Amino acid sequence: MDILQFVIERFNYWIFTVLMMVGLYTVIARGNLVKKIIGLNIFQTSVFIYYISIGKVSGGTAPIFTTEHQKELKKHEHHGDAHHGDGHQVPTHQDGGHQDTAHQDGSHQGDAHDSADPMTMDLHAGDLHAGDANTSATLTRAGEHHGVSTPDLHDGDANALHAPANDALVSQGGDHGGDHGGEIATKATEFIEPLYSNPLPHVLILTAIVVGVATTAVGLALAVRIREAYGTIEEDELETADNVAEFGVADPRQQQDGGQGAGRLNPGGAQ
Amino acid sequence: MTVSPEFSAGAVAAIELALLTLLFVVALQMLKSRHLFAVVMLSGIYSLLSAAFFVSLDAVDVAFTEAAVGAGVSTMLMLSAMLLTARREKPVTPGRAPVALIAVLIVGAALVYASIDMPAFGDANSPANAYVGQAYVERTPNEIAVPNIVTAVLASYRGFDTLGETMVIFTAGLAVMLLLGAGAPRGGREVKDVDDADNGKGGNT
Amino acid sequence: MSLIEQLPVLPIIIPLVAAPFCLIIPNGRIAYFYAIAISALTFLSCIGLLHGVAAGGTISYYLGDWAPPLGIEYRIDLANALVLTLISGVAALVIPASYPSIAAEANPKQIPLFYGAMLICMLGLLGVTITGDAFNVFVFLEISSLATYALVALGGRADRRALTASFNYLVMGTLGATFFVIGLGLLYQATGTLNMADIRVQLLENGTNRMVEAGYAFIIIGMGLKAAMFPMHLWLPNAYTYAPSAVSAFIAAASTKVAVYVLIRFTFSVVGADFDFVSAMLSYVLMPLALAGMFFASLVAVFQTDVKRMLAYSSVGQIGYMLLGISLGTEAGLQASIIHIFNHGLMKAALFLSVACVMLRLGVHTVDGFNGLAKRMPFTAAAFIFAGLSLVGVPLTVGFVSKWYLLQAAFEADRAWIAFLIVASSLIAVVYVGRIIELILLREPPEDGPLFRDVDGNPVREAPMVMLVPMWILVLANVYFGLRTDVTADLAGRAAASLIGGQ
Repeated sequence: MDILQFVIERFNYWIFTVLMMVGLYTVIARGNLVKKIIGLNIFQTSVFIYYISIGKVSGGTAPIFTTEHQKELKKHEHHGDAHHGDGHQVPTHQDGGHQDTAHQDGSHQGDAHDSADPMTMDLHAGDLHAGDANTSATLTRAGEHHGVSTPDLHDGDANALHAPANDALVSQGGDHGGDHGGEIATKATEFIEPLYSNPLPHVLILTAIVVGVATTAVGLALAVRIREAYGTIEEDELETADNVAEFGVADPRQQQDGGQGAGRLNPGGAQ
Repeated sequence: MTVSPEFSAGAVAAIELALLTLLFVVALQMLKSRHLFAVVMLSGIYSLLSAAFFVSLDAVDVAFTEAAVGAGVSTMLMLSAMLLTARREKPVTPGRAPVALIAVLIVGAALVYASIDMPAFGDANSPANAYVGQAYVERTPNEIAVPNIVTAVLASYRGFDTLGETMVIFTAGLAVMLLLGAGAPRGGREVKDVDDADNGKGGNT
Repeated sequence: MSLIEQLPVLPIIIPLVAAPFCLIIPNGRIAYFYAIAISALTFLSCIGLLHGVAAGGTISYYLGDWAPPLGIEYRIDLANALVLTLISGVAALVIPASYPSIAAEANPKQIPLFYGAMLICMLGLLGVTITGDAFNVFVFLEISSLATYALVALGGRADRRALTASFNYLVMGTLGATFFVIGLGLLYQATGTLNMADIRVQLLENGTNRMVEAGYAFIIIGMGLKAAMFPMHLWLPNAYTYAPSAVSAFIAAASTKVAVYVLIRFTFSVVGADFDFVSAMLSYVLMPLALAGMFFASLVAVFQTDVKRMLAYSSVGQIGYMLLGISLGTEAGLQASIIHIFNHGLMKAALFLSVACVMLRLGVHTVDGFNGLAKRMPFTAAAFIFAGLSLVGVPLTVGFVSKWYLLQAAFEADRAWIAFLIVASSLIAVVYVGRIIELILLREPPEDGPLFRDVDGNPVREAPMVMLVPMWILVLANVYFGLRTDVTADLAGRAAASLIGGQ
């Protein structure tokens, strides 16, 4: 049972591994230049799948605020301003340790004060500004997460979140099913914030997709040029052509490793 | 819509499983087939399948981009490159396979090794999802007035990556111009190759 | 918002904004002066940064004012300030020297684009070095790589093998970058953050696990591919050999160094050499590969008849020295490695520029072109000899400084046998450099035959001033930093200390 659980939890990552292996194999083992580029594409796409899998949250939804959520946020907007001073967004380093729970009420339901600690955003060194409205919003919602999904596991254990996988697994448990339904129902006469998948991997992969297609374009342009210059895009034939031009033999590998020098402004030293 | 959560979760898992299996089959077929046209078409399908998979993982923006860029632009590029180069792939010398296999197996083993310690798929409390990723969800509504968090992050917190991404595209354009544009051999300059007679025209197979 | 406050972002913003304009510059010569101006400005801003960091310590700059780890941070300490200065300095010298050479080797229509690509290549390398955000490294790495592929392929006009060299570089480079991204994904999954300093904080707080171990291994392989670490160097010799001469000079001096820098950064300040798996990786993987590369590549270099290819193999060997310094895992080793990154950039830029001069006049980069060069092109010949001696590690040159600190580091780590191997491999460098110096000094120039006259059929003249001056600045830098050892050694020492010590 545990093993089955273990396999299911990692299935996506293994599939990514297999796809990546297929792509990598295509790149290394195939000699056709276009095919190599296609192999690179498979390879890169498999990495995209990996990243997106990291960011998935069970029971989550796409990271776009639902209309209800937006309305809810609007309601609390004045609160945010009140805490905020000039309303201009100054990003701040946050330190959950300096948070007092007083900031949290008003912003949200605030049903999980003690679980704010796990979300501690303990950034490097001293430059910490204590929480403004933004900060408290962050922490409150973190609290809710825990409050909703695993209400009984969080007694302010500051390491729960950043602890290695196993701990996280424990706290995850078999949640997100319907078993906290009752708990939610008691409090959920008001609005419940939806659970969103992690947007960061999506952002990264959007960039990576564009980088990938740029590389593909340059690689294919090179393949076209090679076809024009050599009349072939098969790696073996390219090698033979270079060897013939240089040594007059198709396979001089037994002679030496390095190449002879290039000639004047013409290829292969073919004087 | 009165579907029990268990049922819909099961259905989603089944769809994911089916998509992943399809992805694997398509990738294998791309590896095997020597017919480049078929391979290019399959790569389009591969991109669409992965786009569908991204939707099931809540990554709608990524899915949209993958469908447009991966299945659309990439496939077009490959198709035109194929038409300008060759339609069929020739068999390779068998010597390559063992090296490739060893490299691939080592890499695969490293990833399986890493996966032992990975947080469970979908874990909301994994470090990746709980720390910075969660903070984006928290802070976006207060700091940026865009409902789509991915867009918000792209444009603000990680805006510099996006600028870099634009630069990547520009660089690729510049590279292609250098390779195929004016001044490159087909742009009016003769190629001084030894066996130029039969390939100077480039183009058709 | 004064200019000084924005200084950290200037080395990136200047070329980023400037490069696209190369597309609309109609004339190669205008583009040339434009690129000189931009690279000089970039160099000045890097000098300013180095100065600022040396005086005031690590600078942290939040792009768009978004604080890390949510936003992207530029984090400049001495290590990357030195590398930034090297890259932009080499660019600011190679670009002025490039015009005669590129005008001979490329189509006039391509020259504005060429300078655009050079600036972008420099921009990408600077971006990789300056950033404190791990994913940002990937984006800028790809910017510089794409530009480099195009620049290498530009040599395809003279020799079609440049095209296949560029293609192989593209495949290996993309594999390397993707491995790096996989490694990054694993680190991200383990720590939840992409900010380099923050990854370290998280790892110290929560310890490592298998994800971090595999992630670090993937990053080593990915950057090893980009840096041409020994068994993964196959793309490098052809790329350096068939690229246009000016391009070889720039990428040989700058691009692999940046990959080595990223290796250093991830080893010492992102993951941390204090973890057991990192030190195991250093001693059992990196060190054997570094040693093998030092010997194998140097030996292969001895048998080359093409000087550019010889220098390319020598580069693979020299990267072995840098990796060796890293693999010792000590502060002294790291210091030696950083010194050598800087010094090797100076030597290789000068050497490749002198080959560019020979190529310009004689149209070859084989050993034949170097016969009796001292009599035909004395300044070029002298530059090659000085830089070559520096490569060997003769006292009073920077090469000696590098070797000296590396030897010291080896002794300090109680590994005298490594010191012995360093000396032994330097002897191989004596052979391959000595061979060329012998040709230059002792042979007579050809009396007749294809290399009797220059490419235009005139008697062979000295290379033009625009090439000689930058080349000699580099040669003099080789000597200057060889005498003023305190400058580089002190900066590199402090850089190493902050990399290892700075939590």
